[in-house]
Amino acid sequence: MPERIRHKPLGLEKVKHPKAEIHLIVDQCKGCGYCIQYCPKKVLEESRDINARGVYPPRIVDESKCVICSFCTAVCPDFAIFVVEKPCKETC
Amino acid sequence: MAEGKESESTEGEEEIRIGVYVCHCGLNIAGSVDCEEVAKFAATLPHVLLAKDNRYTCSDQGQEIIKSDIKEQRLNRVVVASCSPRLHEPTFRKACEDAGLNKYLFEMANIREQCSWVHLHDRKATTEKAKDLVKMAVAKAALLRPAKETEVPIIRKVLVIGGGVAGIQAALDLADTGYKVYLVEKEPSIGGMMARIDKTFPTMDCSICILAPKMSDVGHHSNIELLANSEVVDVKGYIGNFHAKVLKKPRYITRDCTACGECAKFCPVIAPNEFDAGLAIRHAVYTPFAQAVPSTYIIDMNVCLNKDGIIVCDKCIKACERQAIEFEMKPETIELDIGTIIVAIGADIFDPSALSNYGYGKYPNVITSLEFERLINAGGPSGGHLIRPSDMQIPQRVAFIQCVGSRSDKSGKLYCSNVCCMNTIKDSLLIKEHWPETEIFVFYVDIRANGKGFEDLYKRAKKEGVIFIRGLPAEILEDRKTHNLWLIGENTLQKELYKMNVDMAILSVGLEPRKDSEILQRLLTLSRTQDGFFMEAHPKLKPVDAATGGIFFAGTAEAPKDIKDSVTQASAAAARAGILMAKGKVTVEAITPISYSDRCKVCGLCTKVCPYNAITLNKELKRIEIIEAACGGCGTCAAECPFDALTQSHFTDEQILAQIDAVTEHDADKKIVAFCCNWCAYAGADFAGVSRMQYPAEVRIIRTMCSGRVAPKFIERAFARGAATVLVAGCHPGDCHYINANDQTQKRVERLWKKMEQQGLNKERLQLLWASAAEGERFASKIREMQTTVEKVTPEEIEHAKKVFEKTLGGN
Repeated sequence: MPERIRHKPLGLEKVKHPKAEIHLIVDQCKGCGYCIQYCPKKVLEESRDINARGVYPPRIVDESKCVICSFCTAVCPDFAIFVVEKPCKETC
Repeated sequence: MAEGKESESTEGEEEIRIGVYVCHCGLNIAGSVDCEEVAKFAATLPHVLLAKDNRYTCSDQGQEIIKSDIKEQRLNRVVVASCSPRLHEPTFRKACEDAGLNKYLFEMANIREQCSWVHLHDRKATTEKAKDLVKMAVAKAALLRPAKETEVPIIRKVLVIGGGVAGIQAALDLADTGYKVYLVEKEPSIGGMMARIDKTFPTMDCSICILAPKMSDVGHHSNIELLANSEVVDVKGYIGNFHAKVLKKPRYITRDCTACGECAKFCPVIAPNEFDAGLAIRHAVYTPFAQAVPSTYIIDMNVCLNKDGIIVCDKCIKACERQAIEFEMKPETIELDIGTIIVAIGADIFDPSALSNYGYGKYPNVITSLEFERLINAGGPSGGHLIRPSDMQIPQRVAFIQCVGSRSDKSGKLYCSNVCCMNTIKDSLLIKEHWPETEIFVFYVDIRANGKGFEDLYKRAKKEGVIFIRGLPAEILEDRKTHNLWLIGENTLQKELYKMNVDMAILSVGLEPRKDSEILQRLLTLSRTQDGFFMEAHPKLKPVDAATGGIFFAGTAEAPKDIKDSVTQASAAAARAGILMAKGKVTVEAITPISYSDRCKVCGLCTKVCPYNAITLNKELKRIEIIEAACGGCGTCAAECPFDALTQSHFTDEQILAQIDAVTEHDADKKIVAFCCNWCAYAGADFAGVSRMQYPAEVRIIRTMCSGRVAPKFIERAFARGAATVLVAGCHPGDCHYINANDQTQKRVERLWKKMEQQGLNKERLQLLWASAAEGERFASKIREMQTTVEKVTPEEIEHAKKVFEKTLGGN
């Protein structure tokens, strides 16, 4: 459609987003950076702290942006990251 | 090739007998030209056997006179001095043919559009010019040769570009007639603007309810191949034999899709739905609306998480039971051979965010009429409840503001968008129907209710209590707390200022040409009006034909119009295309090149300039070969040939030189010799005539099919004969009717400018103008500008130019 969109969609607040809970097993990470590189929502970035293996593991920038595609789990060679859906409370 | 030689050999055998007919055209010509005197003058010209003037030459009576003269007086050339050949040349050519005279032995002098109408106030100068134009036509006529037209078969298939209501109607009409139709639509679904509207005026029918059955018919019709989510990227060829390339963008979902919608439920990505003007939400995998055709879902790769072939998120794939999702799909190019094309690309909506005084985009409760349509639509984001965006409440006081983006060149477009008045009246009645207590104010400039049943609807709206206030608000201000709006302006009927508080304001936005119409214009070599909409071949008598043969217009691509008019025009376009295809063949004008092989030095220059690759160099046989069917008839090869071994039928070197000589016979030092291309500059000059734009009478126009036909020797000859100035005028670069033949025009003129500078000549005496068929004023102002140059040119300069270009006078 040609025309530019000027208004916020109605009922945007009502859209239910599954809330993600990202779990990092920091000391298991070998710092390959695949999860950071492939995350489509750019939820992760490189941490400034060194882990037990002497590399920079990822850290979470904004957990609310995660859409639980679980691609990070799929690409991680060391099984150091996984995502679960937060149990739904009254708010969602 | 053989023809050219044959006609040469017949030369001299036959005595040339020209009949000249000067038309009064009522007072259109006779009002400023002394037609009787022109006819008397014509009788004195060489080869002219008789010259007559009559009131209407194009009438049956007028044509009968020509026919009987051909038979009784044994005329073998006919010249009619009347309107533009773009209007009545076919009429008179047919009359000649009826009387047994080859139609290529007819010539026209344009003494209306390019003479009487543009010099209304100087009868003497206008009459002199008319005489000159007749003299030029007679000079050319004496050199005319009979020609035979070739017939080309027409492919009985149609390409319809655009799947709005106009495209749908045209496609259905043609498919029902029995022709194969390719319907190309850019969006994922057909339906266009009409699918987004809630109700139609004046009958208040549900828009999608009447459109959906038609859309579904298109989807199921055995003669229609629907190419949605596709774009036309290339068109080559000519009337009856087009070759188009269509880029079919991937949907990433196969035809196995049952439109169950399970995938969308799991898609984690959301985006505003364009179909609902951004007021609703869709997922990355979506269908634009419930009735979409094709009903297959589509994945929007701009927002989908899976980019560059990496499947990051597979939620939709898992959800799809039919396994219809295929991320590996690639765009494909489909090649089509078609005979006719219908352009139904529709129009865009004016974006009012450019008008800062209305605060659209800044204040949430200022919306456009299209957003309103989606809000009041039961299938829309609010389920048919008119709510204002700021607090989702039903507004009590609503204002409509008319002419947003229309009828003002300061804030939008100059033209009236035709549909907005009735649309607002319909919208106001819709509100009254659901919420009768709502106070509605319509701010307008003029209410235009000129259609069947329109006035009744307007009266009904007034009766229902809609208040019409003449005078648009100058400004809209917002109350920051309540988001209510203050409209400030002047009521021009009561001559008092108003400041009115409303809950919501709806901007009745106008229509504008589609932003991508320029691409299509180039692909199909069409012309557009100053407003930017496509221009028809004749505003009254050929309202759906494009100037390019085999192409027709339907719907708002041609001008803003409502649904009924769009459908009417679509059916008309379908009928026009059908006529062509039913005949099965079309004649192509005999204006292809003639080569004289004895003069040809096989240099190959002509092969390089041909835009159609219709001339090839046969190195073994040492000759050039012309493929007539591929030739477009621009004549730029003839202009390029340095040995006069090539010329263009019906626009031969001899004929054009004879016209130049006729112009420059008397008072050459006061004249502007103009070469105009048939499609743009000549049509632009005609348009100046139709619009009665006045310009100096010193200009004499010589018509060529393309400005690329104008050989440097023509220009040099004009200067050698003492012409004050020369104008070469053609289509804008990129708009050339012959692909890019006018690139050669520019090169040749630039070369001549250089030569003139070297020889110490004032190069302002040669001018190059790009003017489209709609740019009459541009043409007229160029002539006015050149007139000042003419006045400045000294007799010494004329003499100097004569000497410089002296050698062009020899030969021919």
